[in-house]
Amino acid sequence: MGSVRTSQTPAAAEEAPASAGPESGRSRPRRTRRVGVPAVFRPPNVFILPAALFLLGTIGYAIGYNINLSLRGGGLAAFLAGEATFVGLDNYVEMLGDRRFRNALWVSLLFSVGSLVFQFVIAFAIALVFNAGFRGQSWVRTLLLVGWVLPPVVSGSLFRWLLDGTFGLINHILVSVGLTQQAIFFLSDPTLALVSVTAASIWVGVPFLTVLLLAGLRTLPREIYEAAGVDGAGYWQSLRHMTLPLMKPVSLTVLLLAAIWTFKAFDTIYIMTGGGPARATEVLPLYAYHMAFRVHDFSTGAAAAVVLMLFPLILGILYLRSARRH
Amino acid sequence: MHDVTTTDPAPAKGAAPEPPAITAAERRRRRAARIRAVVMWSFIALYLFPVYWMISTSLKPMSDVATVPPVLVPTDLYLGAFESVLSNSAFLQSMRTSAIVATGTMVLGLFLAVPAAYGLARWRGRGAEVSSLSFIMAQLLPTIVIATPLFVLFASVGLTNSHLGLIIANTTIVLPFAVIILRPFFAGLPAELEDAARLDGCNPLQTLIRVAIPLARGGIVTIASLSFILTWGDLVFGLTLVTDPALRPITATLTEFVTEYTTYWNLLMAGAAVASAPILLTFLLLQRYIVGGLMDGALK
Repeated sequence: MGSVRTSQTPAAAEEAPASAGPESGRSRPRRTRRVGVPAVFRPPNVFILPAALFLLGTIGYAIGYNINLSLRGGGLAAFLAGEATFVGLDNYVEMLGDRRFRNALWVSLLFSVGSLVFQFVIAFAIALVFNAGFRGQSWVRTLLLVGWVLPPVVSGSLFRWLLDGTFGLINHILVSVGLTQQAIFFLSDPTLALVSVTAASIWVGVPFLTVLLLAGLRTLPREIYEAAGVDGAGYWQSLRHMTLPLMKPVSLTVLLLAAIWTFKAFDTIYIMTGGGPARATEVLPLYAYHMAFRVHDFSTGAAAAVVLMLFPLILGILYLRSARRH
Repeated sequence: MHDVTTTDPAPAKGAAPEPPAITAAERRRRRAARIRAVVMWSFIALYLFPVYWMISTSLKPMSDVATVPPVLVPTDLYLGAFESVLSNSAFLQSMRTSAIVATGTMVLGLFLAVPAAYGLARWRGRGAEVSSLSFIMAQLLPTIVIATPLFVLFASVGLTNSHLGLIIANTTIVLPFAVIILRPFFAGLPAELEDAARLDGCNPLQTLIRVAIPLARGGIVTIASLSFILTWGDLVFGLTLVTDPALRPITATLTEFVTEYTTYWNLLMAGAAVASAPILLTFLLLQRYIVGGLMDGALK
């Protein structure tokens, strides 16, 4: 299967520009192209319109709504009545001054960086072993993805049960091996709670990253490795001097995707700790949820949402710039 | 692409019978492959232990759940936890909601995503680039950012507490993802077949339906199953767009279970197992499409 896939990748890539040439000169006379019908209305381009309109009506609306509401005061009722006054950046200033927001920003950072580093390193190591090949690897790969397809609420519940202070299995093991005297209350100690939700997030994220990195490894040219083997390069040498540099663009993509996914993580944390204890695990999405749906401070919720939108936007732009350079 | 279950070239090379004398290098390579297999199988056993523990706990009576030392393998299978979960009408109602919403999202998502991915794959030029980019960006937004505005919008048009509202909301997440993953499937199709269809008098829509969709059906199965899985797993919309407990999807009901039954771990684990069953079934039945499709589509 690996060979099929790698052979298919360049083929598909070459296809695109190759078919562009004949298509532009063929079938449709050049005249229609010049008359002012915008490209998007010409078939089959026009097929993207239903999806584009749907997303404009939902996501586009959501973006506009968040930006608009975040700049207004007077609460949701005034906003819906069209009477909310424009207050500029007041909501942001207020939010930035809020201890709770700064805490959420910090927790998000710790959680995302912790998840990201471990997810990436573990996934890369596993992908390398897969790429080297072993008996039953397609089975192992499928089983690995079970952790990813499980609803996050379920994986959160599993970890909550495993880490339970009174009857959790992990405590049983720690005590019986003699590592600790007493049971540890993983989810009620602030530091341990953050470590615990990060661990769960690593468990959930590793499979998908592994699959992406493996797809990247499969596209690396085998000939280079054979040449290096002839020159007497060992495994670690070719890993360091060939695999890692060659994988840089793919790694960057995967890291950015993973950064965005961990940054938007909500479900697992919501069910494991609900953001507690003492907001030690309250990441930004939980903060935004709390502000809008618990406190009903929709303006601050919207300001938090704008901050949450900016993050993927910045990362996305960084990614595109680096992708263009490669 | 579809043959995920067949062995990969690397181990096939190692396992192939080599009639002449086995060299030392070859023997070393085989041993390394065996070690890799042992390491990875042990890793996967450890990785999946939480899932095993869920099923194991759900099959124990409460008296066996909290014992020291813990019962690793339940000897007498106790089905009481499953019985009480499956006789809980709120739970079953939620499973039904999730099934309706996940299926509806899958249908609406495919209906919008398939033509869009095809159009995007065939469109050359700057506009296509900008559109692709917008789809990618839309996929990156945190769900909660969309949930609040949709709540306000739906409240004003009466779509909160409705299946349709949840279907629309989940489609906003599924659609960009589906377009991104599907596009390379269409881009990789041989253009000659579509040209032939055009010469036979098919208009672009007929070409899409009669030629492109049948050829890209592997990708479409991938996306259909992934959108079902993604939607079934959603919690944010289930929490925010539904206030009527009778209309909650299963994920939101499970969070209620956690607070209600935290001392009855066997019940909670049985609930979690039942809630995951449709997903695991879908995944295991269609895994060759899902894994292959993800690997083909995700990095392009």
